Amino acid sequence: MSSLVGFLSLVFAIGINFYLFLSRYIFKFQKQKFNLFTRFSSLLTLLSFFSLMYAYVVSDFSNYNVFQNSHSNKPLIYKISGTWGNHEGSMLLWLSILSIFSFFFSFTKNIDESFKRLTLIIQSLLHILFGLFIIFTSNPFLVNSILVNEGLGLNPILQDPGLAVHPPILYGGYVGYSIVFSIAIAGLFQNTDDEWLYVAKKWSLISWTFLTGGIALGSYWAYYELGWGGWWFWDPVENVSLMPWIAGLALVHSLMMVRGEQAIKKWIIFLSILCFSLSVFGTFLVRSGILTSVHSFAADASRGIFILLIFFIVTGFGFLVFLLKEPKKSKTLNLLFINKVSALVINNILMIIATLTILLGTIYPIIIEVLYNKRISVGGPYFNATVIPIMIPGFLLMSIAPILSWQTNKIQNSKKYVLGFIILSVLVLIQSYFLNFNTWGFVGLLLGFWIILASIIAIFSSYNVKFNIKFFQIINPHIAHIGVGIAIVGITCSSVFQNELDFNLNEGDEFNVNGKKVIFEKIETTNEINFQSLRGNFLFDIEKKQSKKIEAGKNYYPVSKMITSEAGILHQWNRDIYFILGDQKNNEWFVKVLINPFVSFIWLGVVIMIYSGFIAVTKR
Amino acid sequence: MNRIVVLTPLIILLIICIFSLTYLLSGKDPNKPPSALLNKDVPSFESSSLYNSKKVIKTKDIKNKKTLINFFASWCSPCKIEHPLFFEIRKKYPQLYLLGFNHKDPTSDAIKYLEDDGNPYHFVGVDSDGLIALEFGVFGLPETYLIDEDGKIIFKFMGPITKDILKNEIEPLL
Repeated sequence: MSSLVGFLSLVFAIGINFYLFLSRYIFKFQKQKFNLFTRFSSLLTLLSFFSLMYAYVVSDFSNYNVFQNSHSNKPLIYKISGTWGNHEGSMLLWLSILSIFSFFFSFTKNIDESFKRLTLIIQSLLHILFGLFIIFTSNPFLVNSILVNEGLGLNPILQDPGLAVHPPILYGGYVGYSIVFSIAIAGLFQNTDDEWLYVAKKWSLISWTFLTGGIALGSYWAYYELGWGGWWFWDPVENVSLMPWIAGLALVHSLMMVRGEQAIKKWIIFLSILCFSLSVFGTFLVRSGILTSVHSFAADASRGIFILLIFFIVTGFGFLVFLLKEPKKSKTLNLLFINKVSALVINNILMIIATLTILLGTIYPIIIEVLYNKRISVGGPYFNATVIPIMIPGFLLMSIAPILSWQTNKIQNSKKYVLGFIILSVLVLIQSYFLNFNTWGFVGLLLGFWIILASIIAIFSSYNVKFNIKFFQIINPHIAHIGVGIAIVGITCSSVFQNELDFNLNEGDEFNVNGKKVIFEKIETTNEINFQSLRGNFLFDIEKKQSKKIEAGKNYYPVSKMITSEAGILHQWNRDIYFILGDQKNNEWFVKVLINPFVSFIWLGVVIMIYSGFIAVTKR
Repeated sequence: MNRIVVLTPLIILLIICIFSLTYLLSGKDPNKPPSALLNKDVPSFESSSLYNSKKVIKTKDIKNKKTLINFFASWCSPCKIEHPLFFEIRKKYPQLYLLGFNHKDPTSDAIKYLEDDGNPYHFVGVDSDGLIALEFGVFGLPETYLIDEDGKIIFKFMGPITKDILKNEIEPLL
């Protein structure tokens, strides 16, 4: 029953969007009615989504999708997250988030009504494309042809609280760019005033903030679940989320800087189209099964071709309009040697080069396999050697960019910055000299601390420090940059100064980790609701009274016959001690211990960036 | 000049779409990468028998005979699907040596599985820790390898083999 409701409301919502789309050309109706119809179709799409969720919650195995991906033994939260833990459901989530964005956009007040309508019509077009994709290739409401009383389970690696919320948040970013895309296209068609730029800024900030949160959740999950001790692997699926993130960053910065310059406006439109295109491209790469990962649920060529077609239409349409309809000529760029505009231009160029570099690395294996029938993989070494050096000048620039002037080459209080930089360089050099020197470590630490220091100098020397909301809005760019600086310090320390120790241990053995005594107490196995767990119990720092307990092991999921590794992590503010329990051989357990310094800084930096994202949304 | 700059995204789009489409239409499956092991020497291995841990098989034991190596497990349902085919192979090609590797399986489960469904293999080696599979670069179960008399891998297949694959791809090599 719920499946029927879900399917019908999905079809009905698409029907309404057809009507809205055609309304521009055939049916004319009042603006009030138009908004109402948009909202109605959004609610119908949500109804469809929640019907599917309901089927998951009550374990309605007469729905084929539920049967394939759920199990009555699963805890409620994973039944709910099971709704989007499969290809069909996650595409429905995609469409639902698109609807939510249209819904809220239809309430926007401060733009021209016909401009708003045009934007929503483009949204309708996107809704139709993805809606048809769901109905024809990925219908989550198919009826199960056999009568069953139990389901087939869910990929156990996805049974994790962090990952349960990761897709909706990530999609908030991906799909949020659809509004920015629609606004930009509408901006090309209706070359009226620049009011839409402010609206676009708000939406692109929201999308970017969601995307940041989604990527961070994904990489945090990879950190503690995949059991490799790293948090970023340059996996193609990570890359496809990083591309719209960097392009979105360029977009947000351009939107903040725009003061009616024609060149920047053009560039903003280009970036808006690019961001959404990259999002759809990411969806295509992941969903078509061209890339294998935990994200590719099922490889099906027809689906791949359908999404490729959508990608082609959306991107082709966007760039074609861009080619044919140029924005009106107005102010020219005020480029100086070092002012805000030139800093912005340099930063944008760097970000776009970085995005293209990642794009090349991601699609290169596909090109090679088509041409030479050889499978290659492009991984960390390529990306580390190309993307990081490209970004470094940008990081250097961002420390002072917010205080640069619009009109002149002068930098306020430049002496303070020079002095700060020199002192900092000496300190970092001394630090590197006493620890084992590493070029990347030196560069990373200097960069990170320099960004933090310069931002702090800027806050205290350029503004009157007051503790009210307005002040925090004003210094928000600096706060965001401090977040980046902290994250860079964390990234540098945890990757360059990581330490790895391997042990072969019997139960009861004692061993040393960084001078601290650790005891391998025992192996425990327990039966949980939906899995069996095997845990090695370790006591860290046994000489102290409050020694810390660490559990590392594996889970075995009988329904899907899969084993997942569960790292045991002792979080300290300055380092993570990361235990991995390996296999047993000759009665000895293989135990790997990784010491990851300052990992917490990465997450702290990301949290600050997300905070700034939200603060920036509140500012006009 | 300006036109060319604006056209660039469209050109890149076209290139990406053409390659992706070719990839999708060529029926390539990312789960079946072209094997790096093909035409290479079989990785060295040593494994004890499922039924008698004292009986051991080593790489040199399969020299000078054509060998079909199959990785399987009792918990792997696609393995169950291809299982009957090995009886046909054994009947049709008695000179072919069938070597099964039982992958990450409790011994009792494996023995019961081969009791229930029959044992088509000449030798069943144990790969309880998955190290042999690692050497072979096994991606997922089941996987099947054909080794020629010189100890070279001449065929590799990921996933359950079917009658068609047996007829069109394996038999010509036998």
